[in-house]
Amino acid sequence: MARMKFLCDADRCIECNACVTACKNEHEVPWGINRRRVVTLNDGKPGERSVSMACMHCTDAPCAAVCPVNCFYTTADAVVLHSKDICIGCGYCFYACPFGAPQYPRVGNFGSRGKMDKCTYCSGGPEPDFSTAEYEKYGSNRLAEGKLPLCAEMCSTKALLAGDGEMIAEIYKQRVIKRGYGSGAWGWKTAYRETVAI
Amino acid sequence: MTQDGKTLGRRQFFRALGGSTVAVAAAVASPMGATEAQAYDPGNDETKSRYRESDHVKAFYRTNGYETLKKNMDPASTGTK
Repeated sequence: MARMKFLCDADRCIECNACVTACKNEHEVPWGINRRRVVTLNDGKPGERSVSMACMHCTDAPCAAVCPVNCFYTTADAVVLHSKDICIGCGYCFYACPFGAPQYPRVGNFGSRGKMDKCTYCSGGPEPDFSTAEYEKYGSNRLAEGKLPLCAEMCSTKALLAGDGEMIAEIYKQRVIKRGYGSGAWGWKTAYRETVAI
Repeated sequence: MTQDGKTLGRRQFFRALGGSTVAVAAAVASPMGATEAQAYDPGNDETKSRYRESDHVKAFYRTNGYETLKKNMDPASTGTK
């Protein structure tokens, strides 16, 4: 069974934010919510790197682990989704997520933020496929149409990869072999500096 | 119990009070203990796999790996001529 994954090739990302715009347009995401964003490290300095970030659809998702109403579920494609009908907007998932993926329509305290919103990997929600309710709550369902997330498909430099984890890992591996070096924006060396031997 | 045997004495009063408190606490706690937290399950129809390697998806893989992968990919399977 294919497992859906995102991978951002930081050597190719030019911080154009087309992925962010494509996502907002495709799902008609309201003001104040960004399901995807581009994070730039060492902005304006030599060695600047940008990484496009959204929900990474974790295998053992911490958002699901802390949710007091258990509104999260994982599909057979390994996509982490949630039910807005069950969500109480407590904000626990936002604190638990290492990527800052969960977003809320309003600023406020416990329960006043509104229903949580996050990247659905362009695969809708618990409502029937292509229904109006699904589109209004979660956006379009491209995966059911036989397509991939629009953010990745729109990426002009082909930095953002999406799809079967094994396939995109193979694409990235081939790029690294061709270049002769890895990203440098993330990985063991970046996380632990020179204290780790790889 | 007092001498007349009808009203509660001090010891009996606190014993009765303690017993009823335990009974109330057990009644409150038992539903929480008996109900196990369960992840939301929207049903098999909504969690089933939707991904399929359509021509659209194959084209995505082909164009993203064009520098290296296209040499390894079979043109017939990727739809290229």
